[in-house]
Amino acid sequence: MEVPLVFDVNGLCYDYDNQIPALDHVSLTVRPGERLAILGTNGSGKSTLLKILDGLYFPSQGLVFAFGKSLTEQAFQDDAFNFEFRRRVSLVFQDSDVQLFMPSVWDELAFAPLQLGLSREEVKNRVESALRDLQIEKLRERPPHQLSGGEKKRVALASVLGLSPDVWLLDEPSAGLDPRSVAWLLDFINQQGESGKTVITATHDLGILETIAERVYVLGEEHQVVAEGTPQQILADKALLISSCLVRPVQYRQK
Amino acid sequence: MSSKRTGRSSFVERTLVDINATLEQSLFAEQTARLPGLLQELDPRLKILSALLVLLAVGVSRNLLVILVLYFLVLALALFSRVPLAFFVKRVWLFIPFFTGVVALPALFITPGPVLVHLPLGLIITKTGLTTALFLLLRVGTSVSVAVLLILTTPWNSVLKSMGVLRLPPVIILILGMTYRYIHLLLHLTNDMFLSRKSRLLRRMRGPEERRLIAATSGTLLNKSLQVSSEVHLAMQSRGFRNYPRTMDTFKMRTIDWLSGAVVIITVATAIWLGK
Amino acid sequence: MSQIKSALNSLTRGTPRSLMLYYGIFAIWLLTSAMHIPDGYLSPVTSIIMFIIVLPFWVMGVRKLREKMTAKNVPLIALIAAFSFVIMMFNVPIPGGTTAHAVGGALAAIIMGPEIATMAVLIALVIQAFFFGDGGILALGANCFNMAVVLPYVSYAIYQAISKNQPLISKRRIFGAALGGWIGLTVAAFFAGFEFGIQPMLFHTANGTPLYAPYPLSVSIPAMVFAHALVASPIEALITALVVAYLQRTNQSALEFVKKPEISPELSGFVRWRALWIGLAVLIVLVPIGLLAPGTAWGEWGTEQLSSRGLAFIPQGMAKLSGLWSAPLSGYDLPALRNSNLGYILSGIVGTIVIGIVAWLFTMLVTIRKSETKET
Repeated sequence: MEVPLVFDVNGLCYDYDNQIPALDHVSLTVRPGERLAILGTNGSGKSTLLKILDGLYFPSQGLVFAFGKSLTEQAFQDDAFNFEFRRRVSLVFQDSDVQLFMPSVWDELAFAPLQLGLSREEVKNRVESALRDLQIEKLRERPPHQLSGGEKKRVALASVLGLSPDVWLLDEPSAGLDPRSVAWLLDFINQQGESGKTVITATHDLGILETIAERVYVLGEEHQVVAEGTPQQILADKALLISSCLVRPVQYRQK
Repeated sequence: MSSKRTGRSSFVERTLVDINATLEQSLFAEQTARLPGLLQELDPRLKILSALLVLLAVGVSRNLLVILVLYFLVLALALFSRVPLAFFVKRVWLFIPFFTGVVALPALFITPGPVLVHLPLGLIITKTGLTTALFLLLRVGTSVSVAVLLILTTPWNSVLKSMGVLRLPPVIILILGMTYRYIHLLLHLTNDMFLSRKSRLLRRMRGPEERRLIAATSGTLLNKSLQVSSEVHLAMQSRGFRNYPRTMDTFKMRTIDWLSGAVVIITVATAIWLGK
Repeated sequence: MSQIKSALNSLTRGTPRSLMLYYGIFAIWLLTSAMHIPDGYLSPVTSIIMFIIVLPFWVMGVRKLREKMTAKNVPLIALIAAFSFVIMMFNVPIPGGTTAHAVGGALAAIIMGPEIATMAVLIALVIQAFFFGDGGILALGANCFNMAVVLPYVSYAIYQAISKNQPLISKRRIFGAALGGWIGLTVAAFFAGFEFGIQPMLFHTANGTPLYAPYPLSVSIPAMVFAHALVASPIEALITALVVAYLQRTNQSALEFVKKPEISPELSGFVRWRALWIGLAVLIVLVPIGLLAPGTAWGEWGTEQLSSRGLAFIPQGMAKLSGLWSAPLSGYDLPALRNSNLGYILSGIVGTIVIGIVAWLFTMLVTIRKSETKET
């Protein structure tokens, strides 16, 4: 029996306010348990793509399937579908100040389980285990504005961990993190991958590419998929990297 | 709140001072709220209801002495809650009541009634005027003290969530929490904008220049607010939020809470009865 | 004309002219936070009444939050409230060297509509009361009415009246925003002055000592209105206009938000009659001014009053029926309260509530009838 693709995107086009193009005929597939990277410079449309995969925006043209079901506005009107999808797929925003909107860490971690209708007891359990798993127990009562960048990222990840998502969508997770936090982040991604979760990371950080992904899609400045391959293949293609503005011609160095 | 100083420092300076004072205050309150003091141990819902009852007693009283006693009770509670008294008194009386003193001042002279003191320039202070001024001052001072004590002994987030007991709809509580959280973001942003402007100043800004800075900063803040709000909306949806938020608190009333509640009710009832 | 003059005279009766100048100066001095009424200035009874008055606006605001657009409104309101709060901290330099600050309610109304602006300013006020212990907790109802209801609704009405059908970038919008802000805050100040001014009249000790805000209407209203009209309202106007102008240049969609408000069918009727509701609310609040009028309403006389007016005889029917019905709040008073002014206001409230309930019941009946006939 064929296992449905996690994501199957065909000819996706998206325009902001029906005018400014953000994505131009993008097609990609994601298999369960894959660790995928979407590589692209700022403005290439990575964030928009992740939001579409998370069912927050809907295509202007083209089709997006998740677990074999089409992602449309109507589909999400159905409570059961909404519940199922939100539980299985989690997006971690690039800007932690957007991800963390509750006045304390505890509330932040409780938000998702609460909104999805879990019982109070169950919510408490999920919050406690998320605090433990990410080693942020002492941050429990802190408000987000008293957290460092690395701590914020941990809390951001913890905020969706309580749902045990099957699919992680990470938008530039290493942005603004110090090296120690980046190392921790990479461990986390690998852990999730090893437990069979699907992880899709949007980034322009070439340094972490090989660690976080088995397969890479490259989005060009024209908002199209310009390449697909293993990290090694992509990193070796200097011309591609230069033309996609992922490196500057003079300073490129092979990692 | 706006600074009452009208010094030679520029608007940028003064606002920066205010912003930093606010942030400091907030931090300080979070710290005192976690000290092992008397009030910190109690259920926040109990504290909010008690605060309201005491405010009512203060407001209803027609007896100055009763209000004074209530004030000293509040001071005592502050003491037992490890709130630095000097700070507490300054914090309360330096702001609103000081202000109220100014408002009350003319009342000394214009309220009709038996004369108390004759002053030069044909001004007189009347007994009724003095009484009125004292009532106002004491009421305001005690009320502010109650509010400040509540804030200093209860983490803001707990204050928020306990307002559910006042029958506030969950959506309002959610919004309140978010507002508090984002005030800090905007304050930091404003701080940065003003600091960067200040660092480029070779001389003081003139009025029109300052007003342009205000306009630009306000506009940037507004744009940032709108942008953050639409992104946060997406973040909320992504975590399952639809239209009706669910909120949750982990408060439990214990014996000591019930006992304290009884004490409060008795005290307030006595105060109201005595103050008739 | 002479009646107006005598009314004005009775308003200012009892206050030496020279002293009015004296505390006029004080009034200007205290303008910066004058809009935020702390606890202690208003009697608890007044505070409770204000809560009751403001409640329907809160209900409206929450209802609007529950409509289709709810999900987006939650963070929007939070952010606008946070913004309003931060703006309130800006010490705007004005000629003369002092500073003042804006409330932001006018701007919020222009961008999000008055219902949501109410919620946004309410949120900011709650935070100020509970976070700073500033604006008063019991006084929240009154503060909300002034700054979260009067200010947004009035500014919004004026802005819309001036900028209706104008292109988004037209200068008239800026003017509308400024005028809306100025008038809005001044009217709000009027109400605040009113709330202050009725305190000595209603709440005093046996020998006349005011128990709360000590100045009568003749002082509080001019003080608040002039202090705001001259300083605080221009600040509000300035900030509102400046930001609207800035938005015109940088983010026009923000101004469009209210252009085509999505109104659910149940509320659309209300919106159409919004002006009426506001007028009604104003009338209700102005009821206590009747306390100032000497004498009784012309023509509404009982038998004793007829004869005291010199009528030589009493119509037979009147004499027979005059004892038939004794109203619970006869003479608009409740003797038990020992304060006829308070009784007057209370009877006004009771009357309004009763009429409101009757009207609501009537509407329910009518709509049930309507839906029944539709189904058959």
